[in-house]
Amino acid sequence: MLRLAWLFVAAWVVPALAAPPDDPLRSPAWPYMAERYFAGQTVRFDAAVRVLMPGAAEDPLAVPVYVDAGALADVREILVFADLNPITTILRYEPGELARPSIGFRFKVQQATPLRAAARTGDGVWHLGGAWLNAGGGGCTTPSQASGSGLWKDRFGEIDARLWPRADGLRRLRLQLIHPMDTGLAGGIPAFYLETLALQDSDGRTLARLQTFEPVAENPLLSFDLRGRGAVSIRGRDTQANRFAGTVAP
Amino acid sequence: MKDEHRRGNPQGAGAWRRFGRFAALAALIGSGAATAAVTDKMIADDATTTDDVVTVGMGQGGQRYSPLTRINTANVGDLVPAWTFSFGDEKQRGQETQPLVYNGKIFVTGSYSRIWALDARTGKRLWAYEQRLPDGIMPCCDVVNRGAALYDDLVIFATLDAKLVALRQDTGKVAWSETLGDYKAGYSNTAAPLIVDGKVITGVSGGEFGIVGRVDARDAKTGKLVWTRPTVEGHMGYLNGKENGITGKLNASWPGDMWKYGGAATWLGCTYGGDTRLIYCGTGNPAPWNSHLRPGDNLYSSSTLAINADTGKIVWSYQSTPNDGWDFDGVNEFIPFDFKRDGKTVKAGAKADRNGFFYVLDRSNGKFISASPFVTRQTWTKGIDPKTARPIEADTRPGDPAAAERGKQVFSAPSFLGGKNWMPMAYNANTGLFYVPANEWGMDIWNEPITYKKGAAYLGAGFTIHPLYEDYIGALRAMDPATGKIVWEYKNPAPLWGGVMTTAGNLVFTGTPEGYFKALDARSGKELWQFQTGSGVVGQPITWEQDGEQYVAVASGWGGAVPLWGGEVAKKIKDISQGGMLWVFKLHRTQLAAQ
Repeated sequence: MLRLAWLFVAAWVVPALAAPPDDPLRSPAWPYMAERYFAGQTVRFDAAVRVLMPGAAEDPLAVPVYVDAGALADVREILVFADLNPITTILRYEPGELARPSIGFRFKVQQATPLRAAARTGDGVWHLGGAWLNAGGGGCTTPSQASGSGLWKDRFGEIDARLWPRADGLRRLRLQLIHPMDTGLAGGIPAFYLETLALQDSDGRTLARLQTFEPVAENPLLSFDLRGRGAVSIRGRDTQANRFAGTVAP
Repeated sequence: MKDEHRRGNPQGAGAWRRFGRFAALAALIGSGAATAAVTDKMIADDATTTDDVVTVGMGQGGQRYSPLTRINTANVGDLVPAWTFSFGDEKQRGQETQPLVYNGKIFVTGSYSRIWALDARTGKRLWAYEQRLPDGIMPCCDVVNRGAALYDDLVIFATLDAKLVALRQDTGKVAWSETLGDYKAGYSNTAAPLIVDGKVITGVSGGEFGIVGRVDARDAKTGKLVWTRPTVEGHMGYLNGKENGITGKLNASWPGDMWKYGGAATWLGCTYGGDTRLIYCGTGNPAPWNSHLRPGDNLYSSSTLAINADTGKIVWSYQSTPNDGWDFDGVNEFIPFDFKRDGKTVKAGAKADRNGFFYVLDRSNGKFISASPFVTRQTWTKGIDPKTARPIEADTRPGDPAAAERGKQVFSAPSFLGGKNWMPMAYNANTGLFYVPANEWGMDIWNEPITYKKGAAYLGAGFTIHPLYEDYIGALRAMDPATGKIVWEYKNPAPLWGGVMTTAGNLVFTGTPEGYFKALDARSGKELWQFQTGSGVVGQPITWEQDGEQYVAVASGWGGAVPLWGGEVAKKIKDISQGGMLWVFKLHRTQLAAQ
């Protein structure tokens, strides 16, 4: 059913589309990324989507990033990917009406690469921001630190979270889940990572949904900007169907 | 990486407008559209249907018999490889698995809690899944897995960190995962789950760590627990979340609080009798091994339990080794079968026990019918008292260490690795024979003081194994269950550690640690064919029909308990190469033309 729906939309849209626009970051992989993520869709480079991160990765296992598409109205989804990572997709974020289209996270980088955030607005257009990240490399093929210590199972699945008001009227939720986030690219260690995370308010309304992939850093540290009030419940699931849950009060 | 394109596929984006704000993500998460579904009827009929193998044991009863005759005594010599699949990685350890065949796919598990789906025609890998195991897992006897179960659109297998994991047959995505026990306390699981009427039945491993044995029934579609039945007296059972009576009677056969860490692990899983609606589960050794610490029968250790599939209550039990002091276990598969006696059909079940007896019991009530030795020496017993159905013990129990460091050492045969270990036997209704993979070995064993400590070995015993004969250890023996006589035997230098399969083509298939996969004449035991697989064969063979041809498959890959615990056997096995491979055979085309 989904596939049919897509075909229907595609048939209607495709004739109006041109080739993907030229990449301001001049990435060698841009044509592949355009085909992989945006085939048959409208995509434009847009400074309204901001990607804040250091210019060089101090620690290729955990590069801090803040993506902000708050300057756009009606953002339905934010896709974050790194052109030259062996696994390109980092996360897909669906902020609901009670969440600002912005998210903070850390990720593993394998080599110098453009990092992109693509925000899809209600009209189906992808607005693409991004920047180059310099990196020494190896972040995706190094075993997680937990693999070395052997202690990860003792705290595995624990969630630390804090929720506090900000001057702009929004609330910041920051959470950390203890999880090795293994990419499957380190020898002898299978892929094992958080797949989904959902945030709900105390009335059971979904505030936001997040899909995470292998490159998200070990022990994911995530920041969300939320509207509303009251406690927020967090529910996650990893690739082995381990479930994580917690509630954080303001 | 392999899923990148699928994940990156923008179909969700296009569909989103039709399905609401969160629909796109929901669709990506819930991608499990079933194209084909394994039903209870298919599972119940598996022993007679030839175009698939949807159960480990080739039927819920575990007879491992196929009615196929295309491959038979006349042409088996022309069996040749059709394709192979390498399990890869550096994780080449014992491959004790049985493949499953369904819907054009083969599902095969491997060492270190791995599972693959392969194209049944080409061997092409469709998906792979590997459980992320913590460092602290405690499997006693190698990192093996003995196969999966199929139900609905799921393939379900148990892991070394004591999880039960259900994956979508089409994608390998995890549908649900449930915890069977705390791996830090020594729980693990290597047996194939059994499906009975929509429930997935599992046991637990860990009898060497003082865990408590258990049989669980879960909703196979969701993993939700329906009932659980502990196998040690005094422990509470549960049905639908409510108390369902304790097992046995507290302190009836266990002293003090020794029952709290009483072992009786159900580490080989269970079989099922469709006509009796009973689940038959073997239980392992009582813990610790030092039997002087637990005088009494120690129910229900070293027993066969018949459990009602709906209520989780024990209907009958038969204990083969009361107050087990030799680690004889009683886990071996109990296989329902019928035989004629005085013109009447007897609804029986048979089990070749670690203690060296081949037992025949009435499968509806557990009544003792016969016990016949299937090994040449049993030092521990003078036989079974037909009045009480209990063994008459010989005076060969290792001495009580009491406060001493070490009690009197004795020689015992069979050894703790058993007259037969985990490797399943097969029953051929045409020949009326059971084919029992036996081993001839004994042990020096002594007892030591021990107290329970979570996660530590709970044995109180030391041991070393000795072969009984220079020229062979393994012996595949054809047993007539009606007479208890050995009709033929096939001897092998190294111990037999692989499963057996038999067919209406009058064949018996099994493998050897030396690397050979063999076919024998089911009536005479004559070797008709062998193939060198490159590593020891300790897997469970299967056969099925596909595109008008009969196929035979077996996993190759040396390992299991023997290289870890085999003592003096080491010199017979030290040069065996490691491996990890699925071999699939069919007849050479010259034979196909002849058909």
